[in-house]
Formats: sequence, C-alpha cells, structure tokens
Amino acid sequence: MSVRLTSLALVRGLIGYFVGFAAGMLLVMAARLMLGMEAWEQEAVYVGGIVLAILSFLLASGAMTDWLKWTRGIATPMRHGPPPGQPSWARYFGIDYNHKVIGIQYGVTALLLLMVGGTLALIFRVELAEPSLSFMSLDSYNVVFSLHGWVALASILLGVGAMANYLVPLMIGAEDMAFPRLNAFAYWINVPAALTLMLAIFVGGWDSGWTAYPPLSLRGAVGYQFMFWAIFGIGLSSILGSLNLIATILLMRPKGMALFRMPIFCWAVLATSLIQLTATQFIGIDFLMMSFERSLGMPFFNPIMVEGVNMGGQPLLHQHLFWFYSHPAVYVFVLPGLGIISELLPVFARKPLFGYRWIALSSLAIALVGFLVWGHHMFTSGYGEYLRVAFMISTLLVAVPTGVKFFSWLGTLWGGRLTFPTPMLFTLGAISVFLIGGLSGPVLATVTTDLYLHDTYFVVGHFHATIFGGFVFPFFAAIYYWYPKITGRMYNETLGKWHFWIMTPAFWVMSIGQMSVGVLGMRRHIADYDPALQIATGQLWVTIAGFFIAFSVLLMIYNLFSSAEIGALAGNNPWRSRSPEWQIPSPAPEHSYASPIRVVGEPYDYGLAGSQYIAMAGAGDD
Amino acid sequence: MPKSSTDKRHFIIVGVLVVATTVVMGLLLNGVLPLPEAGVTQASTVDWLFRLHMWLIAILFALVVVLMVYSFYIFRRGKRTDDGEHFEGNTTLEIAWTVIPLVVVVIFTFIGIQTLNEITASPADQLVVKVDGRQWSWLFEYPDGTQSDELVVPVNTNLRMEMTASDVIHSFWVPEWRIKQDLVPGLTTHVNFTTDLEGEFELMCNQACGRSHTDMVTPVRVVSEQEFTAWLHQQMVAQGRQTASK
Amino acid sequence: MAVATKSLHGAVAAHDDHAGHEDYATRLRLNRLGMWLFFISEAFLFGALLATRFYLWGDTRPELDQMVGLIVTSVLLLSSASMYVADTAAEHGQWRVFSVAAWTTMILGLVFFLGVVIFEWGLFPQIYEGHLTPWGDKYGAVVFAMTGMHALHVLSGIVLIFIMWRLARKKHFTPEKHWGIEAAAIYWHYVDLVWIFFYPALYLIGTAHH
Ligand code: HEA
Ligand code: HEA
Ligand code: CUA
Ligand SMILES: [Cu+2]
Repeated sequence: MSVRLTSLALVRGLIGYFVGFAAGMLLVMAARLMLGMEAWEQEAVYVGGIVLAILSFLLASGAMTDWLKWTRGIATPMRHGPPPGQPSWARYFGIDYNHKVIGIQYGVTALLLLMVGGTLALIFRVELAEPSLSFMSLDSYNVVFSLHGWVALASILLGVGAMANYLVPLMIGAEDMAFPRLNAFAYWINVPAALTLMLAIFVGGWDSGWTAYPPLSLRGAVGYQFMFWAIFGIGLSSILGSLNLIATILLMRPKGMALFRMPIFCWAVLATSLIQLTATQFIGIDFLMMSFERSLGMPFFNPIMVEGVNMGGQPLLHQHLFWFYSHPAVYVFVLPGLGIISELLPVFARKPLFGYRWIALSSLAIALVGFLVWGHHMFTSGYGEYLRVAFMISTLLVAVPTGVKFFSWLGTLWGGRLTFPTPMLFTLGAISVFLIGGLSGPVLATVTTDLYLHDTYFVVGHFHATIFGGFVFPFFAAIYYWYPKITGRMYNETLGKWHFWIMTPAFWVMSIGQMSVGVLGMRRHIADYDPALQIATGQLWVTIAGFFIAFSVLLMIYNLFSSAEIGALAGNNPWRSRSPEWQIPSPAPEHSYASPIRVVGEPYDYGLAGSQYIAMAGAGDD
Repeated sequence: MPKSSTDKRHFIIVGVLVVATTVVMGLLLNGVLPLPEAGVTQASTVDWLFRLHMWLIAILFALVVVLMVYSFYIFRRGKRTDDGEHFEGNTTLEIAWTVIPLVVVVIFTFIGIQTLNEITASPADQLVVKVDGRQWSWLFEYPDGTQSDELVVPVNTNLRMEMTASDVIHSFWVPEWRIKQDLVPGLTTHVNFTTDLEGEFELMCNQACGRSHTDMVTPVRVVSEQEFTAWLHQQMVAQGRQTASK
Repeated sequence: MAVATKSLHGAVAAHDDHAGHEDYATRLRLNRLGMWLFFISEAFLFGALLATRFYLWGDTRPELDQMVGLIVTSVLLLSSASMYVADTAAEHGQWRVFSVAAWTTMILGLVFFLGVVIFEWGLFPQIYEGHLTPWGDKYGAVVFAMTGMHALHVLSGIVLIFIMWRLARKKHFTPEKHWGIEAAAIYWHYVDLVWIFFYPALYLIGTAHH
C-alpha cells in the first residue's frame, strides 16, 4: 500500500516545526522593531523560534486536535487499529492512542537516541584515546560531550516511558492508560524537544555539560537556549506521563488486585512516577529562569556587586534547583530497571519473588529518601559546611533500601531452577554492574573522599555503571523478554548471547577503566590530558571498550529487525510466566483482554501446585 | 555437591569463597585504583578512608557475586523439569539485611564526620594566599601584596587559600593535595592544608569553565622555607621595579 | 508547566466510546485524581519559585505598593467566592446563575490580572509608574518571575472558565455531568490558594529594601 507522506503525523509535525521556527523568529523580530529595538538579538529571536516550533509541531501533527475539538464541544470517539486505508506500520508514525503503540514509539525513539548519544561518546572517546589534541578542538570537544550527556539521558527517560507505557496497562489487565490522549501528547512532545536538543549543535551547542552551571551557562553560545527549551519539553513529557501512570495504577486495577498483589514492576513505576511528577518542575522552572536571564537579563544566577552587596542572583541557586531534580532523576533512571530485574528473576528461577513487600516498599523508600540528598553533588560548591554533613548522612542512607533489593534477589535465586536465556543473562549482568556502580556511591557520599574524587573520572565510572546496570542492561533484558509478546516471534538466541558476552566484559573494562584514570587524576570535561598522569593506557582501553559496546548494540538492533521476519513463532507464553500479559495471544491484540480479568492469587507463586494468579472471565488460553 | 537449599554445607562453602574473593577483589581494586603521591598531611586521612571504602566494596561485592554465581552452578535447572522451592520470604533475614547495612552506614557516617573535621581544621598559624580564578588563568596574592600566576608555597606550612572567581565557577585541585574547592563569583570560599612534600605539581581547574578549561593548569612549586622567602623577595623586587618604571 | 487543556478531558468524556466498560462515574474518578495529581505537580513549581525568593531575598523584600497588593488580593479572593457560586449553580442546573457567576469570576480575574500588569509591572507608565524592572536586580527578577508565573495561571483559568461557559450555553452539561465546570472551579480555587502563599512572600515577609 502506498502512503501519502503528509498523512503521517511525524511528517506533518516536522513541516510544522520548521515553519513554526521561521514564523516564531520573524514574530519576535517584528515585535522588537515595533518596540523600537534592533530586530536581531539572537537570544530572544531564537527563543521565539523554538517555542513556536515545538508548539507548531504539536498542532500540525495532530497531538492536540481532540482537545481543541473538546473546547468546542465536539465529540471525539476513540479510534482503534491502524488508520483506515493505511498499512499497519503507518500508525507508528501517527497519533495513536493505544498504549502498546505508544510504548513502541517510546522504545524506538529511545533506541535511536541511545545510538546518537553513544556515537557522540565514541567520537570524543577517539579524541581521548591518546594524549594531545588530534581531530577535535577544545570547543568542539565541549559541545560534543555536553550533547552526549543530554542525548543519552533523554534516551533513558524515553526508555523508561517505553517500558512503563507498554507494560503497566498490560500487567494490571487494564484496557489502556487512564488518559490515552494525554499519553500520546506526552510521547509526541519528546520528538520536537529531542530535535531541538540536537539542532543546538548548529548554533554553537553548549559547553557546560548537562549540568549547565551558571555563570558559564549564561555566557556561552545560543545553543544553551535550545537545550533549556528541549529539556523543558522532555520534562513536561515526564510530568504528564507520570501523572497518567499514577492514575492508571491507582484506579484501573482489576478486582482482587490489591496494591501488594500487583506485578512488582508496577511498584517500581509508581515510585518512579512520584519523582517525575514532582521534582521535574524544579528543573523546568530552573531552565526557564536561565533562559530568561539570558534573553531578558533577569538576574537570578549572576551576581551583581553594588558596594559590596550582591544585588543580583546567586550561582549556587541553580545548583540547588538543578540537583533537587537531577538527583531524584537518577532514581527515575534505575527504579524501573530494578523493577524489571525483580520481574524477570522469579520467571527464570521458577520461584516466588523473595520478600515481595520489602522490594515493593524499598522502591518507595529509595524514591522518598532520594529527595533529601541532592546536596551530595555540591560538596565542593562552597555552600554551608554543616550542609555537607547532613547530605552525607542522608545519601548514605539510600544504600540500605537498595541493599534490601540485592539481598532479596539473591534469596530469589537460591533454591531455584535457573535457566539462562538472553533476558536472564542481561538481568544477571545488570545486578553485577549495578552493584559496582552502587557500591562506588558511598565513596562519593563520604565528603572526605569526595573532595578528592569530585568531578574526576571516578564519578564518570560510577554513573556509567549505575546507568548501565540500572537502566541499559535491564532495558535490553526487557526488550528481549517481551519481544515475543510484541512481535509474536522469538529473537535469535545465539545473537542475543553474543550481544551479552561482548557487551558485559567490554562494559566492565570501560567502567573500571574510567574509575582508574579518575583516581590517578583525570578530570572530567577535558579534551586533553597530561601523559605524566600515567593514564594513557587506561584511556585507550576505555575507548576500545566503548567500540565493543557499540558493536554489540548493533548486533541487537540487527537481531530485532531480522527476527521480526524470520524468527520462530513464539506462542503465547514462551517463558511460562504467570503475569497477565502472557496469558493473552502474541502479538498482543488491539484490545489486550477480551474480557476483564480477576486476580485470585499471588503473582509469583511459582512452584506452588494448583495456584493461580488471575482468572479470565472468558475462555482462557492453555 | 549438596542440592538442598538449606544444607549447611552450602553456607560453609560460600563463606570460604566470599573470604577468598574479598581478598582477591580488595587487592585488585587497590591495584587498579592507585592514588597519586601524597603532598599534604591531610592526604593520609583521605587515603586511609579511600582504602577502607575499597575493602568495604570488596566485601559486599564478593558477598553478592559469590552467592549469585554459586547459585548459577548449584541451582541451574539442568535436566530437572520441576519448579523451584516455594518460599516467599523470610522476615528475620529481611530485618537482618536492613539493620546490618544500617549499622555499617552509621559507622561510615561517623568516620566521615571525624575525618572531615580532621582535614578541614584551620589552625591559627596559617599562611593565607588569596586566589582568583578567571577564564583561563590563576592569580595568587600573598600577604605582602606580591602577585603571581603560579603557586609557590613553603613546605611544612599550614596554608589557607581564600578564593573567589571573577567570571564563572572554577575549582581548585592539586591531586597530590587531595582536597578540592570551587571558586564561585560573588562568594569567598577557602581550603586549608599542610604541605609536607617538596616538589613540582600541577594545579588544575576542576570545574567546566568554557573553552580552555582543559588548559587551565598552572605549576605549583612546594619549596623550602628559605627558597620561598627568596622567591617572595625576588617577586617583590620584580614587581616593584615594574611599577617604578611605569 | 500549565496544561489547562488537560483538565478539559472530562468535558466530553461522556462521548468517549473507547472504554468498553467505562461509565461516567469511573471516568469522573479518574479525572478527579488526574486533576489532583496535576495540582501536586504544580505545587512543586510554585514551591520552587518560593524557594528562589527565600534563597535570593532572605529576610528582605522589595518596596511594593501595599495598596495595590491588598486590592488585587481581595479581588482574587472574591473571585473564588463567585466561582464557588457558579459551580454550585451548575450542580443544581441553575444555568442563568451559573452564567452570571462565571462572568463575575472572569471579570474579577481580569481585574486581578490587569492590576498586576498595569500597576505592579508598570507596563503602562502613562497610567502608573512601576518601580521595578525585571532586569534591574534580584528584586525585580523574582517579582516578575513569581507574579508572571501566577498571572499565566490566572489567564489560563479565565480561558478555561470561558470555554466552560460557552459549552454550558450549548447545553453541554447537566447537573449530573458537569465535570468540566468542576475542573475549572477547582483549578480556579487552586490558583487563588497559590496567591495566598505568594502574597505574603512578596508583600509582607521581611524588611523592605530601599
Ligand atoms: C544513557 C546514558 C549514557 C550512556 C549509554 C553512555 C555511554 C557511553 N559514555 Fe557517557 N555519559 C553520560 C551518559 C551515558 N554515557 C552522561 C550523563 C555523561 C555526563 C556528561 C556531562 O558531564 O555533562 C557522560 C559522560 C561521559 C564521559 C565523560 C566526558 C567528559 O567528562 O569529558 C565519557 C568519557 O569516557 C563517556 C563515555 C561513554 C562511552 C564510551 C559510552 C559507550 O557505552 C557508548 C557505546 C555506544 C552505545 C551504547 C550506542 C550504540 C551505538 C551504535 C549502535 C553506533 C552505531 C552507529 C554508527 C556506527 C553510526 N561518557
Ligand atoms: C543512574 C543512576 C545513579 C544511581 C542509582 C546512583 C546511586 C548513588 N549515587 Fe550517584 N551519580 C549518578 C547516577 C547515579 N547514582 C550520576 C549521573 C552522577 C554524576 C552527575 C554529574 O555530576 O554529572 C552521580 C554522582 C554521585 C555523587 C556526586 C559525586 C561528585 O560529583 O562528586 C555522589 C555523592 O554522594 C553519588 C552517590 C550515590 C549513592 C550513594 C548512590 C546510592 O543510591 C547507591 C546505593 C547502592 C549500593 C550502596 C549498592 C547495593 C547495596 C548493598 C549491597 C547494601 C550494603 C551497602 C552498604 C552498607 C554501603 N553519586
Ligand atoms: Cu576554570 Cu575549568
Ligand atoms: Cu546524586
């Protein structure tokens, strides 16, 4: 079937984006002329362009059409299935309200961003492979690593959205999310936002890293504005998406599914969403203020000394606002991943999840304590000395609920009947990698040692290990595990194992390598280093390992594409899981559950003869 | 090999393996994570705590990974077709592995506070150097008004850096001196340390500060008391002559 | 990050055939929860602004026109009362009362908005000479940030009430099914509540800086 390009929301949105961009810029210039100012002032003009571009994308793509109709009292019935007269793939490029479609949209976008972000890392890693500057300049290095940080983090936020959107309604037997239109909107705003983020590079990018500390971030190229508004958009998506997930989990569970009888992943999503719903506002308003300080000169962050008194802003204010979001955000990155680990272990151990309640509540505990620790990123910042001690204590406390998870996982494995297909391998890889990442946390949390390690590659090693262990590995595990449910076919197991066995050792080399050069004196954010530090060998290893990781990820991408065509038919429940989504056909049908389900038992009663988790009203499978 | 999950022999084997792995891991970690030479008295405190942390990591890593890998081997499904044993949890165990890490954390908090007080202590007889960071150079000012763009300090002396920045945030770091502190526009921050090793080191800016952050490095020379006095004198003469000739 | 449109969701939820087994009561419960979650989220937005105010100003504040502050605050509180009347009227199907009360609220809201823009912002110096600029110092910056963000919410509230008024005129609501009006009403009360925190933070707490 042929498809008219402009019938695709993505294409319409992109056209709208660029038209809106031009219109926004012209509008600001016209307004400036009318106010008697010079037309061109890049900060204000570009901001006008960006804001109107994002808005136009959303309007042109149709992500807001239904709402606009509502304001005029026009009914908008729900449409199911692919749009009429179009092939089924077309719906993935359109505004679709089905949470499974939206989940896939999130997932594919996340993988794309991961590839872009990873490629950026490979570029600057080549520069770092040996001392002295080779093909990059100091400026381009700054811009590229900064972009790497935010693109990779955006990919995580979308990946988390992918898992939550696809799985939560399926796992609780709901028809869809509580607010399907809001769900689509929350996905689609990421597209113009991510585009804006990457366009920054064409106007000089930004050179401060993802943390954007002022006053530096008030001085650099106009790329900063692109980044602020892009992150604002992605943040808005986080807020709306999490609102939807919380409402869905709290009110749309079937009969009999008490909170403590949900699949454990839903607990992780609930905890995650509480963070996203609230803390995200801080980075949103922080970046807005930053944007306004740049374009209007409102002094929030830049000090203005008048006779020894500061009449302007304060640089540290940004650090507080930023980390109040960005620390809890790191738990947004990992809690869903840890939920995936808890979800998969019982299936491949054929045993109940050890200490279900403890694991469920530890997610909440991590999320809540996570709100009290932001200052551990600021030990060297010059804030009050007493704060250092307070933040050290609260930070170390997070180790306790995290430990509960680890030990409960061990309890789940002990006495099981373990098998090791690819998803299980990635789960176990995740545990070991997250362990080393997590354990390197307390070294940073103790002020004494952090004063040495802050902003060295030890920190870089710490967070790549936590991010890979808490997000990348579990995300890959989830992709392999639910692949049969999504496509109806099995991925290629041999390729999957190759992926794992290349990526895991490579990752260890990369992360330990980073920590090692960091302890020897490698600072963050530098394009060149002194060979006298004796870190050249370590740096080379890190670079090589990065390429191995990239290669293994390519294997996965190939596997996912090729198996969709030629993979063996998987059947409804290849893993013999008890979870509701596996009791329905594969691929999951348009309306997941033909009739409402009822929960009649515990979710993880593997090994208990005759036990049942859910009952289907109609004739069930097997 | 015992197959039952509650067989005591498992725990003996695991115990032995954990101890062995801890030792190997600890040595490995301390091997791949070597700290540079120490140049201040405070460094021994930092290094001691860092090593202690490495051993804590070794223990916990060994504990978790040994139990995990051991399970792979003992509890792999193999030819069996039945499901695993049915137990859903154990409250005593859960409480134990909540309380024990809590105790460890409290101990480390305590050590953390103690050591922090040690390394930040500010004795009375300090030589105060004013530091100004700007894109992308350093300026040091000594009590007698001498200014310099490299840092020269006497050995075996209590030093205090009074720091601020003129444009964006920078950060003061000499790896051999361990301690690090940001320089913030509009604020005065400080850092205290006691030199105990003569030699040439490098002061590196440790906060992204724009294009030449990479190159915002300046030599640090720790010299004997006499050399320091001589240097100061020489600087004063040089700078005095400069102003005179203007 | 205001998304006023979101709260419209329920306005036509009755037409939403998506839910095979979803009735109006279920939809209403979801909508209400969604609205409250949105408020929790927004509380952090306004909280961040308050934190900024206390971080930068400490126990000082700018010299603002106390009279203006008192008047706009009273107007806004009054508008909450009229919105309450509107909501109750809708509940009882008294559409004339609803219409009058909704318009009263919108007008009072507009008075508040213009009061801030004309007087506190001094946008029209011909009418009133303002005493702060956003780019002057930390006082101007924070005053404009806080009142600006709040004014944005007031404005979106007025738009929301206007949309509901139009829908009501088209007989879109019934006493049983008027979620859209309820949403607009609690949104309006919420925006008022925020001002109750902002007003003292801007006008009352701390010593005035000269
Ligand atoms: C999801 C998060 C994520 C991921 C996956 C990565 C992946 C990698 N990161 Fe990154 N990193 C961050 C998040 C992440 N990073 C953040 C937040 C920062 C901080 C930035 C800041 O300070 O502001 C950072 C900073 C950072 C630094 C410090 C830079 C500096 O301070 O100067 C370094 C240096 O070694 C580094 C290296 C790498 C490497 C080698 C990889 C490798 O794993 C990459 C391997 C590649 C992939 C996983 C993608 C797959 C790629 C392909 C399939 C390529 C195919 C395409 C083509 C061939 C065209 N990262
Ligand atoms: C993605 C996720 C993620 C996660 C989960 C964590 C988890 C933790 N992080 Fe990390 N961190 C980052 C991502 C993450 N971090 C990033 C991106 C940065 C850099 C930002 C930047 O500057 O660009 C950073 C930086 C960072 C710093 C600042 C360093 C610096 O800049 O100087 C600190 C300091 O305290 C810290 C601490 C911790 C701690 C204590 C944990 C804890 O949550 C870890 C808890 C887990 C364990 C401890 C392991 C398991 C527990 C047990 C087996 C029980 C027993 C344990 C004990 C008794 C100790 N992190
Ligand atoms: Cu100065 Cu980096
Ligand atoms: Cu943190």
